Amino acid sequence: MAEEYAVNIDNVVKKFGDFAAVNGVSLKIKKGEIFGLLGPNGAGKSTTISMLLGLLQPTSGKIIINGIDMQKDSSTVRSHVGVVTQETVVEPELTAEQNLMIFGRLYHIPKAEMQKSIEFALKLSDLVQFRKAYAGTFSGGMKRRLEVSKSLMHTPDIILLDEPTTGLDVQNRTQIWNLLREINKKQGVTILMTTQYLEEADQLCDRIGIIDHGKLIALGTPDELRKSIGLSSVIEVTVEKEDLQKVAAIFKKVGLEPTVLNNKVTAPGGSNATKKIEMLLNSMSTSRINARNVSMHEPTIDDVFLKLTGSEVRDSSGEYQGSARGMIGRGR
Amino acid sequence: MGLLDDTYTLFLRELLIFKKNIGMNLGRATVFPLLFVLLLGSFGSAPRNVPIAVVNYASGPAALNFINILQSGSSVNIVSQTTQQQAMSLLSSSSVAAVVVIPSGFSTGLGSQSTVHVYLDNSQPQSAEVASAQVNAAAVQSNAPAISAAPVSVITNYAYGASSNYISFVIGGILVMVASFGAVFSAGFTVISDRQLGNLKAFLTTPINSFSVLLSKILYGTFQSVFSAYVGLIIGLLYGATIAAGLVGFIELIWIIFLVGLGFGSLAIALAARMKDLQTYALIGQTLVLPLSFLGGAFVPTTLLPKFLLPVAAVDPLTYAVNAVRDIMIKGSLPLTTLISTSIILLAFSSIMVGLAYVFFKDTSKQI
Repeated sequence: MAEEYAVNIDNVVKKFGDFAAVNGVSLKIKKGEIFGLLGPNGAGKSTTISMLLGLLQPTSGKIIINGIDMQKDSSTVRSHVGVVTQETVVEPELTAEQNLMIFGRLYHIPKAEMQKSIEFALKLSDLVQFRKAYAGTFSGGMKRRLEVSKSLMHTPDIILLDEPTTGLDVQNRTQIWNLLREINKKQGVTILMTTQYLEEADQLCDRIGIIDHGKLIALGTPDELRKSIGLSSVIEVTVEKEDLQKVAAIFKKVGLEPTVLNNKVTAPGGSNATKKIEMLLNSMSTSRINARNVSMHEPTIDDVFLKLTGSEVRDSSGEYQGSARGMIGRGR
Repeated sequence: MGLLDDTYTLFLRELLIFKKNIGMNLGRATVFPLLFVLLLGSFGSAPRNVPIAVVNYASGPAALNFINILQSGSSVNIVSQTTQQQAMSLLSSSSVAAVVVIPSGFSTGLGSQSTVHVYLDNSQPQSAEVASAQVNAAAVQSNAPAISAAPVSVITNYAYGASSNYISFVIGGILVMVASFGAVFSAGFTVISDRQLGNLKAFLTTPINSFSVLLSKILYGTFQSVFSAYVGLIIGLLYGATIAAGLVGFIELIWIIFLVGLGFGSLAIALAARMKDLQTYALIGQTLVLPLSFLGGAFVPTTLLPKFLLPVAAVDPLTYAVNAVRDIMIKGSLPLTTLISTSIILLAFSSIMVGLAYVFFKDTSKQI
């Protein structure tokens, strides 16, 4: 029987001591889809990804990838899955070609096909002319492209990407997006990615899942999600910190439901949003509050996220991955 | 496409990186032995309580007097032996640094009979030097007319070829030391830096057996050991050290170094298996390997260690490696039994460490 789903996460729980990092997540990812997993830090995103990679074992529940039970035969699963981890792990002291060769061998690509696979990856990452250059000399975007194409060498059915564009500039980000769209369309590769850029999820993903406190709290296409929270438009007022509570009170007075975050007060505008803005501005000027910025916009995934999780996606604090190599010469 | 293949791939990766950084690797392998040869090669220390065996074939006050003079001070410790044969076997096992034979005619002082024969273990040059000086001093004192009927002269014999020297002694210790350091500071460092950079995680998400990661790192540590020792040996030879056992000795030497690398490479992986911080690792590695080198007799013969440290030296695998290397470089031959016992001891050490490393490495969730 042909397996309908590329990834089937069935009621998965992962506990660290008493703390449930993932608390009963069920998620089915269709073949050929681009799926984005969003969530604030500590929501259980990384734990979920680590379980999908077989690096962590679920406390209970099942993960079935390509019809194979991850816990029973993780080695076979890994040979069908490409992985791009959060850290860019191309080896700076090896050339682009050597990087690909080593991983080609680790993915057990047969000798006869190795050269072909390397050429494929070099072309995909647009690095053909840099094949003999050391990866350490590459820009961040080039490294990422090499890394992504490296994880596609063994023609996997599924590719898992953990924050693939974090730290990249707009140009390089767009290039990675194009690369992902291309392999998704041309080779039908299923893509499961986490991201902290909501705009990225919005543009790239067919469906989005939002995870918080170890649970899946929303699932759907970007459009569905926007509609699901009943937003037609969003009113956003930016003020000085000391005025935040006063402004929130004014929001309530004119019949809006404010959410306060950082130095912004936001609320769904409802049907007569323009009228509400006028009332807001009047009240604020009588209270002598100066707004730095007042805006009304179509709801974005940011607004959905904010409404559902009550927080903005924070930058990850990041583990120490400093230039240890540079300092001690790595002992090689 | 099994364990060995994956191990080879990951080892190949280390070698390619090694090749890229060949200049730095050569530099580092050179600095250490060069520094030690320059520092230690220029002076020897004067050890105390050097054990020497005395065989007294003479009877009478003159011989006893000679022994008394010999015993004065604290530079030597006398072990009395009844036959020269017994004494010589102590010498060849390096239990004593010198054998002093007093001939039967010593007391009567008839002609050449007053000659004392000294046999020196020049595989322990510092000790041998002290023993020799003490015997000669005793002979001079004995020449006072009141003590001896005839002038006492000393004939010195070297247990092992006259070509051996202090530099060979020092280099033998340095080779074992750089071999153990080479393994600990390459294999362990790459595990931790690969963990910090996310490489380890990337390896573990490929369909390889995770044990191959561990094996490849141990192999790389061993490779670095042999490389460092080889560079050290060249420096030693240029500085005047010799390998008394010749080409066979060279092969035996590389084998011993290989085993040291295997053992300490495994120790490094066991140590680094759960560690995330390079500084902590370097600190622990150093505190472990440096004393092991000293206790193993890399610079001072283990016979000169204080008594309470002897049991530690006995369980230190480097003791056996250093002894084997000195046999090869100074004594001129490594007895087959020593070769086998040293190999077994070092292999057993490696096995224990590989086992430990495996236990610590098994849980992949601790690796990321």
